[in-house]
Amino acid sequence: MKCEICHKRDATTAYTHIVDDVKKTLLLCADCIPTEKKHDEEKLVGAASAKGQTKQDVPTLIKKAKVEFATSAAESGAVAEKCASCGMTYDQFKKAGRLGCQCCYETFAVQLDRLLKRIHGANKHCGKGRIAPGEIPAPTDDLDQLGQELKDAVEREDFERAAQLRDQIRSMDAGAGGRAGEL
Amino acid sequence: MQVPEVERVNFSELASNAARWLSGEEDSEGMVVSCRARLARNISTISFAPKATIDDQELVIDRVLSAAQRSRHMRSAAFFKMNALQANERRLLVERHLISPALAESKGQRGVLFSRDEALSIMINEEDHLRLQAILPGLQSAAAWSAVNALDNELGTALEYAHSDDWGFLTACPTNVGTGLRVSVLIHLPALVLTEDMERVTRGLTQMTFAVRGFYGEGTNSIGNLFQISNQSTLGVEEGEIVEKLTSITQQIIAHEKDAQEALLKEAPSQVEDKVWRAYGLLAHARVLSSQEFMNLLSAVRLGRSLNLIKKIDSGFMNRLMIVTQPSHLQAERGGDLTAEERDMYRAELVRENFAHLPTGNAGAS
Repeated sequence: MKCEICHKRDATTAYTHIVDDVKKTLLLCADCIPTEKKHDEEKLVGAASAKGQTKQDVPTLIKKAKVEFATSAAESGAVAEKCASCGMTYDQFKKAGRLGCQCCYETFAVQLDRLLKRIHGANKHCGKGRIAPGEIPAPTDDLDQLGQELKDAVEREDFERAAQLRDQIRSMDAGAGGRAGEL
Repeated sequence: MQVPEVERVNFSELASNAARWLSGEEDSEGMVVSCRARLARNISTISFAPKATIDDQELVIDRVLSAAQRSRHMRSAAFFKMNALQANERRLLVERHLISPALAESKGQRGVLFSRDEALSIMINEEDHLRLQAILPGLQSAAAWSAVNALDNELGTALEYAHSDDWGFLTACPTNVGTGLRVSVLIHLPALVLTEDMERVTRGLTQMTFAVRGFYGEGTNSIGNLFQISNQSTLGVEEGEIVEKLTSITQQIIAHEKDAQEALLKEAPSQVEDKVWRAYGLLAHARVLSSQEFMNLLSAVRLGRSLNLIKKIDSGFMNRLMIVTQPSHLQAERGGDLTAEERDMYRAELVRENFAHLPTGNAGAS
């Protein structure tokens, strides 16, 4: 489906607006999504006229306009993009409920942003960050593992290894100011 | 593919050993069997599960095993490739909560790595490339999170995870995006079921974006009044907050269950005591026990333990029995295929033997 303003690019957005309490939808490409700028208004005038709307409708249209992505756009066939990396389309995602690769998140960023907000009630991560290569786990976690290894070594009567581990734990314990946590 | 030096585990040996999470420690009024923290992770340069080819899947296994070998937490772990296992062996891993039913049933190159005490495990090529899990006895959600986080930090240094600044860790399903963290507790709630309050609790939890699921997690039913409670939201909330919230919610549910148990005992002491001891008697002497009947009877005995009506049985005993009487465990223990009838007889025999070893004399009746 082509954009109803430029008639060149594929429509990716269902642009819903309300005129005299009547909901109308234009299918637009990313470049033609209106802003408050005048040239956008002019573009819309043309598109609106083509759909039988008057010039007076346009300010209302801009004021009340609401860009609705996600399901409505996809259902109308407006989202025709394909992930450049894995080839998944939004329709395929909708059917399977699973994305094909990391790049899908960039390709369908706008739709997914709304979807994530709907699922989680939020669209911004605030937890653990990216793990840097070479990062060293916290010493307390090392202690937990060493403790377990010590237990295993004692159980299989490998006392030489157990002694090594015991000394290692003692030195780390002193450095960390005591043992914390238990695994 | 690089073959890592991982320890081979004999299945009948595995079946007869008790995993650490069954020990019954920290079991909060005898109600919380275990807690679990799992992280969903994907390698940024490899297609996610829906688009992954067999070569991609093999590459994921290769990369994860190579990273695990360097991991302090997983270097002496056991590794199994799913397609090298018999159906019964895969089911046995499900029964031990080491893999999901979905992984057991999937085709293609998939596997599982787990530590010898089964506290830490990694499912490879399930819905995501990696599903890291820490499972501990009782209500120790913070410790489970800390354990899986430490493993994640290690593996994350070697595997470049798919991650975005805005949305955090990227997963195949958007429901796991963000922290990728799902924390859960396996909790026994017989009185809330008996008083028909479970539906109300489930509704309340759903409103708080927590889910109530069955014995083996998503898509499974509750067995023996055991429920899994877990967070649903993974985006816009920090890991520590998720863990704290689950812990606090669990404590509230424990309080509700305790109130309901005490009210039942107060209102109908004879009936409650009869239910508990009748179940005890059946478990100690029955000659045929189906899985469902066994779990229901065990639930009544657990209730007796929570109410201090039965003193000589501890949670660890019941937890271990709950696992070794599962169909694939019975099959592994006996060797060879067993019919459903043979399994029911063998289950009853195993339960009888275990009950016979309990301390004799007054079993702790009040």
